[in-house]
Amino acid sequence: MSADGIDAGLEREVAALINREAMLLDRRRWNEWLDLYAEDAVYWAPAWASEEETTTDPETQLNLIYLKNRGRLEDRVFRIESRQSWASLPLDRTVHVIGNVLVESAEGDAIEATANCIVHVYGKKGAATRGSRYDFAFRRIDGALRIARKKITFIDDRLEGPVDIYHL
Amino acid sequence: MSSTAQSRSFRDLVDDRVDEGVFRVDRAVYTDEAVFEAEIERIFEGGWVFLCHESQVEKPGDYWATEIGRQPVYVMRQTDGSLGCYINSCSHRGAVLTPLKQGNVNVLTCRFHGWVYDRGGRCISIKNEELGYAAEERAGGRFDLRRIGALDSYKGFVFGSLRSDVPALRDHLAAAARWIDLLADQARDGLEVVPGCSTYVVHGNWKLQSENSVDGYHVTTLHSVFAATTAQREARDATGGMGRTESGRIRGKVPSGTYDLGNGHMGLWAQHITPHVRPIYEARAWLEDNLKPAEVDWILNRGRNLHVFPNVMLMDNPSTQIRLVKPISPALTEVSVYCIAPRGESPAARAARLRKFEDFYLTAGMATSDDAAALEAVQNGSTGPPSQWNDMTRGLDALVTGPDQGARDLGFEPVASCPDWEHEGMFLGFYRAWLDRLENGTGVA
Ligand code: FES
Ligand SMILES: [Fe+2]
Repeated sequence: MSADGIDAGLEREVAALINREAMLLDRRRWNEWLDLYAEDAVYWAPAWASEEETTTDPETQLNLIYLKNRGRLEDRVFRIESRQSWASLPLDRTVHVIGNVLVESAEGDAIEATANCIVHVYGKKGAATRGSRYDFAFRRIDGALRIARKKITFIDDRLEGPVDIYHL
Repeated sequence: MSSTAQSRSFRDLVDDRVDEGVFRVDRAVYTDEAVFEAEIERIFEGGWVFLCHESQVEKPGDYWATEIGRQPVYVMRQTDGSLGCYINSCSHRGAVLTPLKQGNVNVLTCRFHGWVYDRGGRCISIKNEELGYAAEERAGGRFDLRRIGALDSYKGFVFGSLRSDVPALRDHLAAAARWIDLLADQARDGLEVVPGCSTYVVHGNWKLQSENSVDGYHVTTLHSVFAATTAQREARDATGGMGRTESGRIRGKVPSGTYDLGNGHMGLWAQHITPHVRPIYEARAWLEDNLKPAEVDWILNRGRNLHVFPNVMLMDNPSTQIRLVKPISPALTEVSVYCIAPRGESPAARAARLRKFEDFYLTAGMATSDDAAALEAVQNGSTGPPSQWNDMTRGLDALVTGPDQGARDLGFEPVASCPDWEHEGMFLGFYRAWLDRLENGTGVA
């Protein structure tokens, strides 16, 4: 147990999962990446509503990406792998660097965590460095921790180039 | 006005010999610095541009900060409900006054030395005025903000011009006004801009945005992957109703067309195969009771992209969009996209409209990102001198001068009608208006 009552083993497990997701995206191991998500996982990157706030209700406000099950992530992979998407060929190279992983709550099998991510992108138009804040919810499915929800607060608000699942 | 822009003729950039079957545009129009400078002066700072939608400045004191060409301006809802638009630059030493893109204020206080302006742009307080200025210099009005030259709105869409010697907005809009009607009149309780915006930078000239917005020819190639992706999704999820994507037009041939709507405005339409998957379809009964049959047909059954020259696209296709275009340099354009929707539509329709928007229109979406990549490839391919001309004669023989049947039914007077959205006849109107503005200044009628 750490001081905040979160099991240290769980903290390591959560950090390992977030790191693993980043590694799989960077190495384009899409199917293994998809396996990290629960079937009904929600993947949400809100848009900015103003300089100070993002949108907060995806049902009534605009988002960059709002996908309500894992199949929708598979669609993104399908499009990338088709080699028919001009924005995705050549695919930008990415390096995700995860930091500040914190398990915020753990009640039974429902776990919530936050993390930061810096993504260095290199593509046709040169290099860029972008930042995201992650809000995760995890669920234990058949003993393994899976992503039930990933909210990405993408702090960049004047987007250079495409923004797809491997950029976030 | 710069001497480069003044001295140079741009006439040789458009090879307009339609009688001989020739219409070509020099690719230097995308890359040449002098062309760009003249465009900013004579088109963006020399005539009407789109500023915002009235729902973005709804209540007294609401402001919306934007630019006309290089000049920051803001639109302010006045206490009496009217609109004002002001040069967004403090009378003292020029600082931009609005703290945020959008907000609500009683007064605007300059954060530099504290001068205060009321909603009508009057300078009502100068810090320590009596210590700095002689009594006679304090005469009213000297430090008031300047209003822009002309401001007007059409069906809620607000336009402004730095110059005052411009035609009336309605005259500038020409036949495009009728297309704005189609968007505005489908909303019983008016339109509203939905919270959330996305801005992206395209490494391509602003006119590539204009061309792309009414270019139906690319759809079955560039967006075939979008159609394939949404088709597999719908098969997998057994998606029904408004969750489905209208992709018939991407996969095959449907009735379609484009129009030269005058003054550089252009319109594109294509028949919907499955109009019932569109969020507006729930309003069908109301539309049929309140609008003319041709209007209902155009609203429900024809997906439309309207380009209002020079800086805005109003899309009513998979979803409904305001796309605002801001030229930064010849090869750099900033694009901001907003979802605009009928007030009071059902929660299911609003959510479906947003999902369709996110699917297609954003740089994080699955189609606009491919458009942006294509436009950047055009920009790159247009850089070398040996690659000079864009031929724009596709479908020239089929081009109809004046209205076709669809235009007559709805009641608008295009300069020309193209019977197929894969034809390029509408570009003639765009580049002729563009050249006219560069050669003759403001486009004063
Ligand atoms: S610049 Fe605004 S008060 Fe000085
Ligand atoms: Fe497109």
